[in-house]
Amino acid sequence: MIKNKNTISLCIVILFGFILFFMGTDGFQAFTAESARTLKLVEEQPVFPEVTLEDSKGNIYPFSEFKGKYVMITFVYTTCTTVCPELEMNLFNVYNQVPEKYIGEDLVFLSISFDPERDDVETLEKYRHFFGSDGETWRMARVPNVQELQSLLDEFGVIVIPDKQGNFTHNSAFYLVNPQGTLIDVMDYQKVDEAASKLLSILKREEGDTE
Amino acid sequence: MKQAIYGLILYLFLMLPPVIALSESIMVVHMHMQMPLLVIVGLLFTPYLKRRFPSFFENWNHNGVPGIVLFMIIIIYWMIPRTMDEALTIPTIEIFKFISLPILAGIPLRDSWNKLNNLRKNIIFISLILLSGIMAWLYIATPTQLCNNYLLAEQKALGWTFLLTGLCLFIYFVQNLFIKGYSLEESENE
Repeated sequence: MIKNKNTISLCIVILFGFILFFMGTDGFQAFTAESARTLKLVEEQPVFPEVTLEDSKGNIYPFSEFKGKYVMITFVYTTCTTVCPELEMNLFNVYNQVPEKYIGEDLVFLSISFDPERDDVETLEKYRHFFGSDGETWRMARVPNVQELQSLLDEFGVIVIPDKQGNFTHNSAFYLVNPQGTLIDVMDYQKVDEAASKLLSILKREEGDTE
Repeated sequence: MKQAIYGLILYLFLMLPPVIALSESIMVVHMHMQMPLLVIVGLLFTPYLKRRFPSFFENWNHNGVPGIVLFMIIIIYWMIPRTMDEALTIPTIEIFKFISLPILAGIPLRDSWNKLNNLRKNIIFISLILLSGIMAWLYIATPTQLCNNYLLAEQKALGWTFLLTGLCLFIYFVQNLFIKGYSLEESENE
């Protein structure tokens, strides 16, 4: 009898453990809060909030300027020495893998700075040069209004923690917004080829629809 | 009884909002102070509970295996980077932390430990050492943030403390093998 109960409780414990891990990781898919976040974002598909951008050329316009085009977005700050350069280099590689006919027409690249205080127009212009962006089909911009910036970061789940040395720890990804202004995909910024081929298949599908 | 009271005091202390805020603001303290202390709360409760419900522990955790498996499940769960983030952002998970670590990890650990034979004890030791090693490697080697709420430097620090924990466990485990007649028997009769 005692032996039986012991076995039963062991089974219950194992079952409990399985359920706990299953629920805690969205069915063994998301072991970090970051993967849980991207999983949820892709499911929810939030709309890009109406914010005003100021780009490296000093032009000021609302995000709706990009209506009708796909926008590939990254969030950076220019004094970053760790993840951001890698993120931008990878974005550059994605940019180069996309056929020219789509660029600017159906697809725009946009790097948004979440450090509007230091990343003014001149700094963005300098940063733009480092990565060989043309400032037109790949724009670098900041959101001058702090409240608008925060609402954008919240909406897209970008968590930015300032450390005491003037740097930020932040999560990074490629964000793809569709022509209607809805976030449709969050891609791993370290998988350039995967992101490029995903982008391409979306663009091709779009082309097929409109023809 | 005395132990249970100490446990209760420690439990209530850990639940004070300023203590929570302080212990969760630093990643290492969160993982290696707050969480183990919550397990210790459970350890301190155990003798009292065993006296109150002797048949429950005797029947349902007869050979100690269900208890120790439950302990391992709970601590591995809290090693997943995501759970630590969610404890900070989702109140339900935070409450679950305060319930699961004492009740589902601390109590079964103390109840099970003396019921386990040496082979099983050794298996648990080795698993814990390996786990610490894996977590150390994970937190030190990952270039990206695993926990969105903590800085990268803190993550690396956590990795090193995991390595230290694993090393301490390893030293303890090895000396146990050579020094005969050890036992972790606890005085149940205070």
